Amino acid sequence: MDQPAESSRPAGADALQDQVRSLAGREIVFDSEGFLVDTLQWTEEVARILAQESGLAVLTDTHWQVIRFLREYYLQNGRAPLNRQLKSGIGMSLLEIESLFPGGLKLGARRLAGLPNPKTCG
Amino acid sequence: MAEIVYLDNAATTFPKPREALERMIDLYAAKGVSPGRGGYDCAQEADELVYGVRKRLCQFFGGDDPDRVIFASNATDALNLVIQGAVKPGGHVVSSELEHNSVLRPLHHLRGKGLIDYELVPFDGQGFIDPDDVARAIRPNTQFVLLTHVSNVLGTIQPIEAIGAVCREKGVPLILDTAQSAGVIPIDISAWGVSALAFTGHKSLLGPTGIGGLVLRRSFEVQPTRFGGTGIDSQELIHTQTYPHRLEAGTLNILGIIGLMAGLDYLATHRMEAILLREQALARRLWEGLAELKKVKLYGPDRMDRRLGVVLANIEGMIPADVGAILDGDFGIATRVGLHCAPLVHRSLGTGRAGGVRFSVGPFNTGKEIDQAVEAMARISRSR
Repeated sequence: MDQPAESSRPAGADALQDQVRSLAGREIVFDSEGFLVDTLQWTEEVARILAQESGLAVLTDTHWQVIRFLREYYLQNGRAPLNRQLKSGIGMSLLEIESLFPGGLKLGARRLAGLPNPKTCG
Repeated sequence: MAEIVYLDNAATTFPKPREALERMIDLYAAKGVSPGRGGYDCAQEADELVYGVRKRLCQFFGGDDPDRVIFASNATDALNLVIQGAVKPGGHVVSSELEHNSVLRPLHHLRGKGLIDYELVPFDGQGFIDPDDVARAIRPNTQFVLLTHVSNVLGTIQPIEAIGAVCREKGVPLILDTAQSAGVIPIDISAWGVSALAFTGHKSLLGPTGIGGLVLRRSFEVQPTRFGGTGIDSQELIHTQTYPHRLEAGTLNILGIIGLMAGLDYLATHRMEAILLREQALARRLWEGLAELKKVKLYGPDRMDRRLGVVLANIEGMIPADVGAILDGDFGIATRVGLHCAPLVHRSLGTGRAGGVRFSVGPFNTGKEIDQAVEAMARISRSR
């Protein structure tokens, strides 16, 4: 499998804001918004811990459906799914998916799935 | 591709007028040679075409010399040209907290190099710069004042004529960033006391991306910061000092210049003033619709006569990135979320790192589309 394109970033970029945490028996680097810097450090156990920290005591099958779709799409395509791809892939509206996660789409679903923090500044 | 409701016209207008695109293809197919490089007829005709667009832009913006209409890639490129070509070591620049990174970053870079210092004047709670603040910020070594004409975040139209009067009184050149205003607000730099103007072609001028430029008054000199072939004085290794070539190294973007011409034609036919009134009416409809929604917060003045068709909003309890994704994925509405490359505006507004959801109307939006956007925001905000 190719290395996902979005997972790498220039050495030193935002490094001052990164935090290393010991999680699920591993040293994991997070950026300032709590996203994994290296998506390959993600495990299901990491997702469970991050979910609990966000106030989601249990990840249901629906949560896992979203998280797995995001990860599989990302690992296959090197980027997160488009909005319409996420909607059709899960079979739910984005508003419904957003409501599933305490942090919503970006800070919830995407972050728990271990995808990198999108860099578009707007 | 599915039809979308496009409300991101402050980033670039979309779609472009079909007739303008067709004109670009036809003229580029017929005259798309290197303008002014070579003695054959077609090159001469291409050069005439380029000069004709310089003349039109000069007149359009109230300039005083078509040779001082300089083509660049976009407003950011033009701003870099004028900033870096007009500052001198030890100088000082006055700008504002309303600016886009196209101004903030070059200034920050030059200060980081120890070449200049600068001061950013604030904006008030409605999104306007006070001319008195500009007057107070000017120092003996201030080389120019550089301000946006219209905020790309709030759409507020700045009091440039009053600021121009301040600058004239102080003897300091005023440079205007018209990225948001060119093509939708009548501009007269000679009457307003503006020494230089930076514009982009792909927003309200309705041209393609990749073309923009500067309009300089005769009294304002800009040193070249890029060097190369210009098609004139080729025997010299020293870059020419003749305008416009001194600031235009390399082959011009003739396709973009044709697109600019086609955009100007469209504005002449459809009347820019009418487009402005229509966009302001749509923005008012959007503002009034969103203002009815309990969980929606709006920013900037509620009066539309001093702002363009830009409305910034947030929904309580949701980050703008998610609101934008839902608007797009569930409702087919394209907006711009985040900081809009203007971080100091959001810092002042208190919208911090996440920013807001910007709706920006263009010449092809309809009332029905505005109602769709309001309804979408109503449905999203009701979920909170």
